[in-house]
Amino acid sequence: MTKSFWLRSTAVALALGLSGGATSAETLRVYFNAGHGYDTYMDAIAEFEADNPGWEVQFEKFQWPDLRTKLVADFAADNAPDLVANPGGWVPEFAFKDLLTPLDELAARDQAEFDFPGDWFDSAVAQNTINDQIYGLQIHLTCATLVYNKDMLADAGYDAPPTTWEEFREVAKATTKPGVFGFAPNSAFIYYWPWVFQNGGEYYNSEIGEVGIGSDASIEALQFLADLIHEDRSAPVPVAGADYEGPQKLFTSERAAMILTGPWDINPIRTGNPELNWGVAPSLTNAEQATIQGGVALSIPKGATHPDMAWELAKRLTSLEVEVETSLQYSMTMPRKSWLADERVQADPLLGQFGSCLPYSQPVQLPLSLTGKYDPAVDTVIQTAFEEVLYSNEPAADVLPEAAAEANKIIAGK
Amino acid sequence: MTYRQRRALTAYAFLSPAIVYFLIFFFWPIAIEFWASFRTGQPLIGESTYAGFTNYIAIVTDKLAIKAVSATMIYAIGSTVFTLVIALGLASILAGPLKARNTIRAILFFPYIVSFVISALMWKSILDPYTGLLNAALLKLGLPPQYWLTDPDAAIWVLVAVSVWKDIGYAVLIYIAAIQGIPSHLYQAAELDGARRFQLFRDITLPLLMPTTLFLAVVIMIASMQEMALPYLMTGGGPANATRLYSLHVYETAFQGLNIGYASALSFAMFLLILLITWVQFKLLNRDIRHV
Repeated sequence: MTKSFWLRSTAVALALGLSGGATSAETLRVYFNAGHGYDTYMDAIAEFEADNPGWEVQFEKFQWPDLRTKLVADFAADNAPDLVANPGGWVPEFAFKDLLTPLDELAARDQAEFDFPGDWFDSAVAQNTINDQIYGLQIHLTCATLVYNKDMLADAGYDAPPTTWEEFREVAKATTKPGVFGFAPNSAFIYYWPWVFQNGGEYYNSEIGEVGIGSDASIEALQFLADLIHEDRSAPVPVAGADYEGPQKLFTSERAAMILTGPWDINPIRTGNPELNWGVAPSLTNAEQATIQGGVALSIPKGATHPDMAWELAKRLTSLEVEVETSLQYSMTMPRKSWLADERVQADPLLGQFGSCLPYSQPVQLPLSLTGKYDPAVDTVIQTAFEEVLYSNEPAADVLPEAAAEANKIIAGK
Repeated sequence: MTYRQRRALTAYAFLSPAIVYFLIFFFWPIAIEFWASFRTGQPLIGESTYAGFTNYIAIVTDKLAIKAVSATMIYAIGSTVFTLVIALGLASILAGPLKARNTIRAILFFPYIVSFVISALMWKSILDPYTGLLNAALLKLGLPPQYWLTDPDAAIWVLVAVSVWKDIGYAVLIYIAAIQGIPSHLYQAAELDGARRFQLFRDITLPLLMPTTLFLAVVIMIASMQEMALPYLMTGGGPANATRLYSLHVYETAFQGLNIGYASALSFAMFLLILLITWVQFKLLNRDIRHV
C-alpha cells in the first residue's frame, strides 16, 4: 500500500515536472565557433536570459568545418538554429541559396537604439550584402599582418621591421640560422593571399569574370614565396593539416623570426611565451600595401524558429561595450567604427596595430562570392596549384595559368 | 492461422523493432541519397531538378575524384597488404611458446583501442618536421631531418604506416586464434614425412589460414576504402591533395562545396567500387580448404 502510494506520487510529480518543463521555457539555439565562446559573450547571454524570463540560450560550439557540416545537415533536416556565426564567405554563399533571413527590416526597426549598419565599417557591411539586402551582422573583423620577434631582428642588425618585400627577404635571410627560420609561412588557403594582393594580384576579376591567379602579379607573388623556401632556405615548407597553428608555435618557441597572423594569435603567443619580445608591424608593400580580411558574421537562418529573439541576442553580442571588453580581454578586432575610436582600444599597442590594418585589408573570396558563382571547388583548385609550387617547387609560371583555366571552367559552369 | 504462421508472426513481431530501426536510420537515408544522386541544384537543402546520370558521368572527368580514387587505392592496398603480412609474421611467432607473448600481444593490441582521433593527432605531433619528436631525435643522432608530412610523395605512405600501426594488433589476435585452431596432428604428420619449418608454414599454416586472411583482407580493405579521419586530422588532404582520400573528397564536396547531388553520386560510385573489390577478393582468396 505504502509502496504503491509512493510510486503513484512519484509518477504524478514527474508528470507535472515534465509538463511544466515543456511549457515554461523557450529555447534559442545558437551555433558558435569553438574558439569564440568568450566570457564576455557568456555574460551577455546570461543577461539576455535574465531580461527575458522563460528564455534559455542553447549555445553550441563547433570548429568551423564541423559547424558547417552540422548547419548543412540541419538545413537538410529543416531544423535550422536561430542564430549562426559564419566565417568569411559563408553569408553570401548561403544567402544566394536562399537559406538566410535578410536583416534589413529588423535593423531599420531598431535604428534609433542600435546603429546598424551605420556604425559598421563599410567592408563589414559589404561582405554581408547581397542584392542590396543585408544577411549578416559582423561580430568580428580581423586582418593578418606581419608579426616579428624584436630581439631576433635586433640581433641580426635590424631595429625596425621590414616594410617592403625587398627588406623582408633580406631580414628573413639574416635571421635564419640552424633550427631557426626567418619566416614561417602558413599552409591555410587565405595566408597566401597577402602576397598576391601586395603584388597587385587578385582572387577574382569581376570585370572579365575570371580568377586572378594566372596573372603575372600572382605568379610573381607565389614564386617569391617559393623562393624564400627553396632558394633562400629562410622559410620552411608549411605543414599541411586541419589546424593552422604551426607557424604560431614556431614563432612562440623562437624558431621563427617572422610570421603572418591575425589578432587571434595574440593570446596564444602571450601565454605560450610570456618573455617573448615581439611586435606587430604594418603589412608589407610591394606594388601596394595590402592584406587579407577575415572575421565572423552572425546570421539568422531562414527556418529559424525565433528570428526576433535571435536578433535581440545578436544586438547584445555586438554592442559596443561587449565588443570593447571582448577585444581587450581576448585580443579580437571588431567591426564597429566606434570600437576603433574607443580610447581603451587605441591604448592597446597590439590591438591598435591590427586595427590599423583593417582599412587596407580585403576579404579574399568576396568579389566572387558577391556574384553568386562562388564554389569552394575553385579554392581547392587554387590551393592545389599553390601547394604544387610551394611543396614540389614547380615553377609558378607553369602551374598557375593551368589552374586558372580549370578554376574559370568551374565558375563558367555555375 | 496455422502454427507455422503464428511462429513466423511472432518472429517478425520480435524482429520488427530492429527492422523499423534499420529502415528509418539506414535504408531510408540511403534511399534519399540515391534519389539525390540523380539531382542537380540543391537537393535536400533547397531547389533541385532531375539530372539523370549527369552526376555519375561527371565523376569520370573530375580530376580530383580520380586523384582521390588513386590515393585511396594506394592507401587501402598498402594498409591491407602490410597489415596482413606483418600480422601474419608476428602471429606465427606469438602463437608459439614465447615467454613474454601476452605482454607483446597487449602492446600490439593497445593502438587498436586508442581513439583514431588521438592516434592521428599523436602521430601528427611526432612527425611534424619542425617541432616533432622524431626529427628532434634524428637531429640528436646527427641524421638529417625528414619531411614526411610536407612531401607529396611520402605523405600517403605516412598514413599507410599509421593505419598499419593501428590495425596490426587486431589482425595479430585474429591470426593467433586461427593458428591455434589448426590441428597439431597435421604438423606432426608432416614432420614425420620430413617437412621443414618453412614447408610447414607454406603448405599447412598458410593454406589453412586462407579463410582468416580473406576475412581480414575484406574487413581492412573496406575500412581503408572508407577512411576519412586520418587524412582529415593529419594532413587535411594535403600536401597538394596527395592524401585527399575518397571519403574526404565526398565529405568536402557535400559539406564544403554544398554539391550534395554530386557527392551522393560519388558515394554510390564508391559503394560499387567496394563491392567490386570485395568480389575480386572473394574470387582470389576464397579457397575451399578443409582439414580432417
